[in-house]
Amino acid sequence: MFVSRPVVVMQLPESLDLESARSVLQDVEPLLGAHRPRIVFDCSLVRSMDGAGVETLLYCLEEAMKRDGDVKLCALSPEAAVMLELMRVDRVFEIAATSEESVRSFNAIPADADSQGAPWYAAVLGELGTLKQAS
Amino acid sequence: MEEQVSGAIIIVDFEAADTLALTAAPPPACIEVLGESLLARLVGAMQVQRIDVVTILVDDRLAPLSPAFDSITNIPAQWVKNPWHGATETLRNYKDRGMEMAVVMRAAAYAEVDVEEFVRFHRAQAQFATRAFDAHGPLDFWVVTTDHIREMEDVGREMETSPARYVVRGYVNRLTGPRDLRRLVTDGLGSRCQLRPLGAQIRPGVWVGEGAHIHRKARIVAPAFIGHGSRVNSNCLITRGSSVESNSEIDFDTVVEDSSILENSYVGIGLDMTHSVVDGCTLHSLKHNVTVNIADPALIGRVAARRKSSPSSELPLLGLAQHIICARYQRRSIDARLANKYSLCL
Repeated sequence: MFVSRPVVVMQLPESLDLESARSVLQDVEPLLGAHRPRIVFDCSLVRSMDGAGVETLLYCLEEAMKRDGDVKLCALSPEAAVMLELMRVDRVFEIAATSEESVRSFNAIPADADSQGAPWYAAVLGELGTLKQAS
Repeated sequence: MEEQVSGAIIIVDFEAADTLALTAAPPPACIEVLGESLLARLVGAMQVQRIDVVTILVDDRLAPLSPAFDSITNIPAQWVKNPWHGATETLRNYKDRGMEMAVVMRAAAYAEVDVEEFVRFHRAQAQFATRAFDAHGPLDFWVVTTDHIREMEDVGREMETSPARYVVRGYVNRLTGPRDLRRLVTDGLGSRCQLRPLGAQIRPGVWVGEGAHIHRKARIVAPAFIGHGSRVNSNCLITRGSSVESNSEIDFDTVVEDSSILENSYVGIGLDMTHSVVDGCTLHSLKHNVTVNIADPALIGRVAARRKSSPSSELPLLGLAQHIICARYQRRSIDARLANKYSLCL
């Protein structure tokens, strides 16, 4: 039996600058400490973002990935999209049109689907993966 | 007989000031395009057409921009409350000076008009005024006869209602927004109009203005324009019809692609500036059709504001966040999956 971990969707504030990024970080920090955190940042309200805001998103992504989780973005406002592209981080995040789409993409492969012992490619390659393991 | 007008009135009104949707931007006429403002180009074009007297009438609500006007042309601007009333007065003055005809234009669009042919056409119409049109409608460009100017109360209205129409066959760009500005730049660089970059062509399709500094490790891929006094730092790439107007700076490792960096603008380290028009801290993205004001001077801003800061405050201006991101890209001990993701954007 697979237990699907919850996906947390967080709404980012209208302005993601140093000040508001700190408050976002305070809210998200407990989630990042969990095993395989799965977080979606809803950027639909974001109207301005500076370097500190982008850095906060990258920090969250890094922390999530350290724990085998992921951070995704959804509903990017044009302003947020401009900033992410300008700072070359748009390709770092998986971006979806809606939060539902982001949540679905997390649930497509259950977080606990692969057992700890199996190689990462086992789920994808199936029997071929087993063969590779045998050889 | 050679057709000749002796006077030209160039009107810079307040309504034109906001057309490019860039905050605090001067009217399109004052914005530098490939090294020279359209107003300066207009004045130059009038002088080439042997028009002796050129009058520039500027709405006095644009007074905060007066230093910009002073440096544009050698003709001093006349600040008036209502430029159209000012035009009436100027036309009466032209009449008193014995000038038979005058060109009146609003400096809001870029139009390549053969004035000599326009005047010949106007003379044949035997009307007070003839207005220029293109395929998309009327242009704010008239040839006016000064004969009965004294009897007219509202010359502006007479010009608006004039039935005579001259169809412009040359290139026209209405400059109604940043997209038009970009089109004008690419058309200029691609020789699709008569607008030529002000600078030396150092390679086919690459023009560089006087005193521009391009680092030997920077790449300029044609077509591109670097304006006078500009600085392009190491590892930068300027390409796809981009223009870096005068006294601007593109900092280390930044890519400028299909973009216009207006004069005195700074673009920070390690950025991807694509499909955009930048004026100081204002960025208009053509891709997303949105104007963003960026308050972080490490990203974009005015060159003058940066130069005012002392050398000791230079480091914070480079942007701590940017340094952290750069350092993060270079980390070798990072989780393999994360490294793979980051490598996509290197």
